[in-house]
Amino acid sequence: MTFARRAWSVVWKDLLVERRSKETLNALTFFSLLLLFVFQFALGPDRERLAAALPGLLWLGFVLAGLLGLGRTFVLERENDCWEGLILAPGDKSAIYVGKLAANVTLMLVVEGLILLLFAVFFNVDLGPALAGLSLVMILGTVGLAAVGTLFAAMTAQVRARELLFPVLLLPVQLPVLLGTVKATEAVLLGEPLGAAGHWLGLLAAADVIYIVTGLLTFDFLLES
Amino acid sequence: MGDNWGFVLAAYALAAIVLAGYWRHLVRRERELNAPVASHPPGVPGAPPPRQR
Amino acid sequence: MTRVLGWLAALALLAGLGMAFAVAPREATQGTVQRIMYVHVPSVWVAYCAFVVVFVASIAYLATRAEAADRLAHASAEVGVLFTGLTIATGSIWGKPTWGTWWTWDARLTSVAVLFVMYVGYLLLRGMIDEGERAARYSAVLGVVAALNIPLVHFSVLWWRTLHQPPSLMKPGPSSMPPVIVRALLVNFAAFALLYVYFVAKRVRLLRLEAEAGA
Repeated sequence: MTFARRAWSVVWKDLLVERRSKETLNALTFFSLLLLFVFQFALGPDRERLAAALPGLLWLGFVLAGLLGLGRTFVLERENDCWEGLILAPGDKSAIYVGKLAANVTLMLVVEGLILLLFAVFFNVDLGPALAGLSLVMILGTVGLAAVGTLFAAMTAQVRARELLFPVLLLPVQLPVLLGTVKATEAVLLGEPLGAAGHWLGLLAAADVIYIVTGLLTFDFLLES
Repeated sequence: MGDNWGFVLAAYALAAIVLAGYWRHLVRRERELNAPVASHPPGVPGAPPPRQR
Repeated sequence: MTRVLGWLAALALLAGLGMAFAVAPREATQGTVQRIMYVHVPSVWVAYCAFVVVFVASIAYLATRAEAADRLAHASAEVGVLFTGLTIATGSIWGKPTWGTWWTWDARLTSVAVLFVMYVGYLLLRGMIDEGERAARYSAVLGVVAALNIPLVHFSVLWWRTLHQPPSLMKPGPSSMPPVIVRALLVNFAAFALLYVYFVAKRVRLLRLEAEAGA
């Protein structure tokens, strides 16, 4: 089986399981709605203040939902005693990484789209003109989050206190991505041309490349036992 | 700007305490790990007890 | 051997203190408080070196599975976190009289804070895995990721703080450094570096003893 074939089969399996059970998607959707409430209550009814903080709130929401979703990357394998199956899989295990990464990015983008819609409606923000720029930032940021998140999910899957350790490890590493995405989103929402946020987009792209390459090179080591 | 000697002393004192504290921790742990080995009766009669460096 | 190292480090630290207080001149703008720089800056330089060592040792472990590499990575991370914490604390103490606040999100302090949190996470991971071999392997992967993240952290934080900021951003320390100050910095850096090597050597030995005792 070629690498691409193997990766694709992982993507297909994960997305199929998700489409059938909609477990994660439903829970994350509901979580996003709850986030909206939490932000509103925590920051008060002042619409102006919320609108001004929108880029930060948006990515805070994406990161929190991402933490929950990414943390579950290997939960199926763990709960169903399939971890050994991953370990014993023949050939290049990084195909599993690519597959999981692709599935995660897809899932996260769907949830983020929902969050975006909810925020736009509730905070009465017209996202139309900014949609193309936003999409680019979201893709770059989500790939970055998922690239490290998938790797760390494998790292913490078999470790004590994994639900605690996963966010504790992921958040500090993701700070550059968070900074980049929030600043870029700010620029996009202010109607600035993409060139203004050029260095941030460059940083995100560089981060994505570094994280994916590192993930490809090190994932095998995590699945040795 | 004034001399703020208090802050300077605080910073250096903090550094000294932290570094000395870590050093003491290392030395104490090493002593703990070496002690049971030294007090354990040697397997071979007549063999000298392990030397501390 | 380690004992010689220890004495050398102690001597160098004394020399560093001498340089910091007796030789280096009193700085014009900030006064005596600026002398904290002779602890703060060498501390952060040593911390970065420590994490580079973690990076190299982690790769070495993944390539060779040599336990010595794992022990070196572990020890260097621990001592690195120690010096990083010291950097933050001394930076904070320096900042209070200089900027009027214990904490500020200036580029250097923020970067160092992120560094601190990343490598505390590294130590936490090690603490949460009982099996020695897996702890070594997983920590090595984390050690690689964390180190590769450092330049990303540096640039993102730098741009976050300096873009659209007025150019008169106050920075600790004089902007162009007279040679005597550079010398004092270097002496202190050498002293801290020797202390780092001494600590790592002792910590590695401790790890070996712990492994032998447990085995």
